[in-house]
Amino acid sequence: MTAVGTAGHEPEPPPDELAARFRAGDETALREAYDRFGRAVLHLATSTLANRSDAEDVTQATFVAAWLGRETFDPAKGSLIGWLLGIGRRKVIDRLRASAREARVVETVRQLPEPVGTGADPDTVVDRLVVADELARLPDDQRRMLELAFYDDLTHQQIATVTGVPLGTVKSHIRRGMASLKRRWEVDGAAPGPRPAGISGAR
Amino acid sequence: MQHLDHDRLVFLALGESEADHGETDHLGGCVTCRRELDSLRHVAGLGAGTQGLHDLPDPPAHLWAGIMAELDAVAQVPSLAEAHRQDLDPAPTQALPAAARNGVEPTYRQPSAVTGDPHPSAGTGDRKPATVSGDRPESRRRSSSPGGGRAARPAGRSRRWPRWATTVVSATAAAAIAVFGTVLVLGDRGAAPQQDVLASAPLAAYGSTPKDARGDARVFADGRLHLHVANLPDVTGYYEVWLINPTTMEMFSVGVLRGSSGDALLPLPPNVDLQAYSVVDVSAEQYDNKPAHSGDSLLRGTLTG
Repeated sequence: MTAVGTAGHEPEPPPDELAARFRAGDETALREAYDRFGRAVLHLATSTLANRSDAEDVTQATFVAAWLGRETFDPAKGSLIGWLLGIGRRKVIDRLRASAREARVVETVRQLPEPVGTGADPDTVVDRLVVADELARLPDDQRRMLELAFYDDLTHQQIATVTGVPLGTVKSHIRRGMASLKRRWEVDGAAPGPRPAGISGAR
Repeated sequence: MQHLDHDRLVFLALGESEADHGETDHLGGCVTCRRELDSLRHVAGLGAGTQGLHDLPDPPAHLWAGIMAELDAVAQVPSLAEAHRQDLDPAPTQALPAAARNGVEPTYRQPSAVTGDPHPSAGTGDRKPATVSGDRPESRRRSSSPGGGRAARPAGRSRRWPRWATTVVSATAAAAIAVFGTVLVLGDRGAAPQQDVLASAPLAAYGSTPKDARGDARVFADGRLHLHVANLPDVTGYYEVWLINPTTMEMFSVGVLRGSSGDALLPLPPNVDLQAYSVVDVSAEQYDNKPAHSGDSLLRGTLTG
């Protein structure tokens, strides 16, 4: 079971269909989106805000704002989870700023400033969640080999040995999987910076 | 110029081998390949950081209930453009039909209000109660077959929430708990008249206050501050509510709360500048002949709206 990309056991409609229904105002789509992506939004909030209730408030506010603003969601520009995480990211940053303002009040009212954040960078957390979601969507072979490379730090050759898959096939799966992750990060990631469109002629 | 082979870039990005001299020379001069390599390296780093993200814990049930409650509050004010409405119903409005509160069989209180018109009348004199019910027979059938039959009903923009909330979430036992949570939350708010909300703030436990203490503040168009609090720690004195200007650090007292959980409606000065006095603060006070803030804040939040 993957927390980021799927809700679990039931067969799921394709993500684009959920996104379209969400945008169209189909009320069941909000619950489905929450079931599938609520954990990711809450993770973003809890890993960036020190206060658990702040994190839950931000998660709640994210889904409320997303639903009320659903007409501004453009499925052509990114995924639903990417859009939700983008809203969550802004709310996390707002909350961090508000906490900083309130911390100035603290100085008169009480002399114990509260730690504002936990240090995790919201952009990096969003990017990881987006990549994790894409990883969960990859064909099984690609995902398996990338996980062996990422988590177990295996080389292509070692992956071929472990899986019994020919080296050339391993290379191909990893190359395709990496290309999908990169494309998804470029579309849905939070971190600003150069987003090369890819190199022509080298693929 | 011959670019580096993409497989090779992936190899380098995953740290499987070092670039040889020729590759280093090329990367030194080729922005395209260098950027691609940087991107792939970054993505590989993100990929390595995804371990553990596939098994994240479920949000607590009260979070969905909170989403429902907030959307319900919005649905009670179909359009903020109607905010000029002056004839606000002073009587507390029953938020839920009794049957729904008992969690038995939700029924419509006003069937005619929820069957045909997807745009409940806004701004007219006849305010309708917020129903959490509304599980129409066809809706129940739909919920028993997940993924099917969603075309049965056209989507209406300003339809009220709870009507479908029961429909959707009755699919699973866990979700049923969420519905019950929604009912409880809304029940708590039954004391608050339906009003246009000018600004609102979630209130969170502050400092060393136990983290289950929380609340919500809403400023109504009629100039009253609605506070809903829960799980405030016991105090020897009393609870006092403040509005604080975070820029000047000036503040004034709005009133007191009667209990550690529940609702209060407190009048605000008619000329208060909520842009300036944007922080809502609940403090623990002593009967000590010191009217100033004790410095012991229990809850705090910033008004937005």
